[in-house]
Amino acid sequence: MNFKRIRVLLKMELLKIVREPAFLFLMLLFPAVLTIMFGFIFADPEFGMSMETVAPGLFGYACIFIIMIVAQSFTEMRDQGLLKRLNISPMTSGDFMASEIISNMIMVIFQVIIVYLLALPFGFNPNTKVLGMFLAFLLMIVFSLSSVGLGLITATISKSSGTATGLSFIFILPQMFLGTFIPVTATTKPIAMFMPSYYATNALSAIFSGDLTNSWIITGFTFITIVSLIIIIIGMFLFKKFGNK
Amino acid sequence: MFYIDLNVKLCKTKQVNKMSEIKTKEYEKPENIINPNSKFSIEVDNLRKVFNAKKGYDDVIAVDDVSFKVKSGEIFGFLGPNGAGKTTTINILIGLLKATSGTAIINGYDVQDGLYHIKQLIGVCPQEPAIFKFLTGKEMIELFGGLHSMNKAEIKERTNKLLDILNLSNASKRKTKGYSGGMLRQLNLIIALIHDPKIAFLDEPTVGMDPRVRRATWEFIRSLKKTNKTIFLTTHYIEEAEKLCDRVAIIDYGKLIEIGNPKELIEKYSVNNLEEVFMKITGRRIMEGM
Repeated sequence: MNFKRIRVLLKMELLKIVREPAFLFLMLLFPAVLTIMFGFIFADPEFGMSMETVAPGLFGYACIFIIMIVAQSFTEMRDQGLLKRLNISPMTSGDFMASEIISNMIMVIFQVIIVYLLALPFGFNPNTKVLGMFLAFLLMIVFSLSSVGLGLITATISKSSGTATGLSFIFILPQMFLGTFIPVTATTKPIAMFMPSYYATNALSAIFSGDLTNSWIITGFTFITIVSLIIIIIGMFLFKKFGNK
Repeated sequence: MFYIDLNVKLCKTKQVNKMSEIKTKEYEKPENIINPNSKFSIEVDNLRKVFNAKKGYDDVIAVDDVSFKVKSGEIFGFLGPNGAGKTTTINILIGLLKATSGTAIINGYDVQDGLYHIKQLIGVCPQEPAIFKFLTGKEMIELFGGLHSMNKAEIKERTNKLLDILNLSNASKRKTKGYSGGMLRQLNLIIALIHDPKIAFLDEPTVGMDPRVRRATWEFIRSLKKTNKTIFLTTHYIEEAEKLCDRVAIIDYGKLIEIGNPKELIEKYSVNNLEEVFMKITGRRIMEGM
């Protein structure tokens, strides 16, 4: 891997997010709108839920949408011949994947900050300090790896950007309904146990409760790290072998 | 007509002067090179590419036992109608496709196992401009300069000179989203040449350009020869090949059917131009497939 090449690719990736309205919306505005909407809904006592319980799920929910962004981005680049053009340069697939992963990690940091700050006025009152916040950021960064990996898998099986958008919901919906802000019941729990978002949400809830010795934190980190690494390796392998044509 | 000619002349003088200002890179010859003393930049031997078809259909032989050599510093034209196998051959030479059989050696490196070295030596201008629409022209060029590990000062110097030569300096500050087809083609060409490659593969570089810009681009391509670059050019424009190329190869249905100097070929077949050479050999026009 060459750091100079990673740096120029990273700059390109970040410019894409800032300058392409669709990516900017999904990456930064969508979590903001989502938090405000949910804030208004859950701030109403009639609803029976509070922002305190919903907020950890919102962090995960925003991160899950990276699947769609990565899938769209890669299929578009492939359709427009940009991946071929990049492949002709001395850039290696390692340089390219590293820039893609780092750019998404940076975006996740922004997403966490946006959701955190916007949730505060709606009653979100985390009982955490610097270490807790650091763990929350770290958890979401590791979780974003699985989303990048699933995005690559989606791009591999999609023939166009439009198809990628649709197919990405195969991975988004289960994680959304079985592991974010929607409470998991005894019926859905056996399935939710396989969702990285379920562990991310529970670990975040534990972090924000202020109890950093809670077993969910170590369980969440372990599960998400292992699963994310497996998914990203599979995603990179599949995309390199079948998706880059 | 006078206006166009005047512009071409102006462009010609300006480009030749500016090209001489651009420093050419010194290339190292690493140890694992196959033939360091070869006078050929490109050596293709019995190259064959077969695309396996789905069940019930015949396989497609895109490139059929093609052999040729391109001398260093030569402008080599690769002509043929659509679907003749030109782009497939280029894609094998630049490492995007694997040949079914045969060998391809670029500047002494085999494309099978020396691709990383080859990528540092070549510049590729693809048939369809592959450009990030959210970047400005300048940012797009800088991106590829960076991918070739050029330093900032080098990138800036070459970017400004190349943009100036192709009259794209003002437009380069705008996002490429609003570029005309001709401007995208020019930008495509600059990106291919930003790192001062030793060998440039130009796949139909002037398609979609208006006659004035096309002629200016011809002069630019011709001026590259003065910097001792090897140019592998595919084109549908016979006039382009006749004016620019030292030698041309004609390919049809995947087979190389003729190779030689344009003038010699015209004399050999006792015809008026290359188009007629092609018609005489194949019985159809080069532009027929378009």
